[in-house]
Amino acid sequence: MWKKTKALRFVVVLVVLAFIAAACGSGESAETTTASEEQDDTFTLGVSNNVVGNSWREQMICAIKAEARVRGNVDQVVLLNRDTDTAGQISDITSLISQGVDAIILNPGDPEAFNAVIEEAVDQGIVVVVVDNGVTTDAAYLVSNDQTAYGELGARWLFETLGGEGNVAYMRGIDGVGADTDRDTGFQAALADYPGITIVSEVFTDWSPTNGAQQALEILTTQEIDGIWTSGIDYSVVEQFPVAGIDYVPIVGADNNAFIGQLLNTEGLTGVAISNPPSVGGAGAAVALDVLEGKTVSRQTLLTPAAIADRSDLEEVYVEGLTEGWSSYMEIEPYTTYTSADVIACLGPGE
Amino acid sequence: MTAANPTVEARPLSGRSWRRWTQRHGWTVGIWILLVVLVVWYSTLIPRFGGFQFSTIINGGTAWIFLAAAQAVVVIAGGLDLGVGGLLVLTSATAAQFMDGQPFAISIVLAVVILIGAAILNGFVGWIVTVSRVPDIVVTLGSLFIYQGLALMMLPKVGGGSSDGFRWLFTGSATGIGTNPWPAIVMITVPIAVAARWMGRTPSGLSLYAVGSDETAAFLSGVNAARVKIVSYAVGGAFVAMAGFSTLAIAGVGNATTEGSSLTLNSVAAIVLGGVLFTGGVGSLIAVVPAALILFFFNPILSALGVNPNQAQVIQGILIVFVMMVASLIEWRRRRRS
Repeated sequence: MWKKTKALRFVVVLVVLAFIAAACGSGESAETTTASEEQDDTFTLGVSNNVVGNSWREQMICAIKAEARVRGNVDQVVLLNRDTDTAGQISDITSLISQGVDAIILNPGDPEAFNAVIEEAVDQGIVVVVVDNGVTTDAAYLVSNDQTAYGELGARWLFETLGGEGNVAYMRGIDGVGADTDRDTGFQAALADYPGITIVSEVFTDWSPTNGAQQALEILTTQEIDGIWTSGIDYSVVEQFPVAGIDYVPIVGADNNAFIGQLLNTEGLTGVAISNPPSVGGAGAAVALDVLEGKTVSRQTLLTPAAIADRSDLEEVYVEGLTEGWSSYMEIEPYTTYTSADVIACLGPGE
Repeated sequence: MTAANPTVEARPLSGRSWRRWTQRHGWTVGIWILLVVLVVWYSTLIPRFGGFQFSTIINGGTAWIFLAAAQAVVVIAGGLDLGVGGLLVLTSATAAQFMDGQPFAISIVLAVVILIGAAILNGFVGWIVTVSRVPDIVVTLGSLFIYQGLALMMLPKVGGGSSDGFRWLFTGSATGIGTNPWPAIVMITVPIAVAARWMGRTPSGLSLYAVGSDETAAFLSGVNAARVKIVSYAVGGAFVAMAGFSTLAIAGVGNATTEGSSLTLNSVAAIVLGGVLFTGGVGSLIAVVPAALILFFFNPILSALGVNPNQAQVIQGILIVFVMMVASLIEWRRRRRS
């Protein structure tokens, strides 16, 4: 009996050796094909994202894919999109470097932890574009939404609408995250100009629609408020007014399509949508490709938010039937070249 | 690789002892070969395979190896520790909190203190398991959440740091990224080799296997089973601290919001692949090392193949179930033969 297994084992070893030999052989041929590929003008983009199951991030990735597809000179978008910690995202970026991508578009989970790996990528001739959240190294191109302006713009609209007086609920994002801190800076700057405004409630929604809804219901049923500022958790907060049986108060939200729909269609609701487009990813892809094509691009691109409050403007950006949680505002001039339909289709090159 | 040397030794042996040798070490050799094959295959998938690629795999895999070793020690002694992921987050958060801005020497002293602290803390969990008679899976599920909560108290926001020398020890570079794999290789090899030798050659180490395979028999032959189990959890805790240090060295900052539970699951998957039986008493740290590296290696390989990381998880799951089936098939055949 055991002789048979010995023979079997021998065969297994042979197969493994053959496999190794074959692998070594194909290694050389793989190198030659890459060399010839580099001569034509197509690029490979790598994407690293560390939050999955969040519609803002989903749309950001769709915008990257759409821009890569529409540009026509990208042969592949390598997507490393998973929920992971800092060490995991660093290892994702190193595997993108190892795969020899031409550019990496990265939404970093930390402002400093990625500096070394970004510098390593740049040393190896890879263009790195950091989108949405910033990093402190100057080796990367930064493309982000101006979060300080986001906080200030909405706050000023709200305080002005309230006539400079009243009680306001301040519903923030995640404590300690860069975007939240920057928005707070803007918010406080506006607040300093309106001494008649009192912040009666300050909560962190963690940018979760369910959290935001619960907290809003609690605030609405226990406190007398004249206005709400939200850090983008808007449509689920609006839904709580009828639940609590309270008249609408002016509300500040983001450019979530569902919120814009509510502003257009709800009797008695006033509010402003401050744009924080996930298409910043598309702008990031555009910057990466511009650099690869040899154009001169500014190291830092700050997208200024728009305050959308007028009915005609709201109607213009509203997209009928868009996935819940998606943002209406998709085309970012002068950076992106795609149309909203390309982003919604969410197809990359060759898909 | 270490696996190559025993093969040479085994050659002059007679057929019968060769068979015994393969029964004992076949899985270890097989898993090392699988790792080598995967590395060679990966090197053909990417344009260039050099020091950078090699060291990023070793550095990134270090935490996985230590976490798997921790789980292996506990499972071999007949326990199970779901808390390892939480303890990793706690140790790296604690280290980040206290090492920030300190010179190298202080960071090493702190590392030793944290390592001993982790061993005592997890040994305490082992003590609760043995005294309370509550199943280990329940107690350590509790410790997972407690560790995670303590980590958040220790480091409420992403931050902290460590010293350049400390980062070099685990990554071969003061910035956590580079082309030098040797410090990490030494940091992995020395503790694992010492522990493997302790478990395989000394009476106190062998009692882990004895308790793991039959607690009553071990007790009747004079082994203090409760003490052995507590020791296994404590040694596990020390390995977890090493994993925590490696994570901090790579990231440069501590992050207490990391999900410990997924890290725990990685460690369980790695010991399954490494041939450690859940029934206890069987397994080797030497086989767990390549198994953990293979699992870590999955993401780079699948991404080089163009597979979406979320589908990669499905493939990883299928692989683990497949390995479990192969392992139990081998075990079944062995039982039938003997």
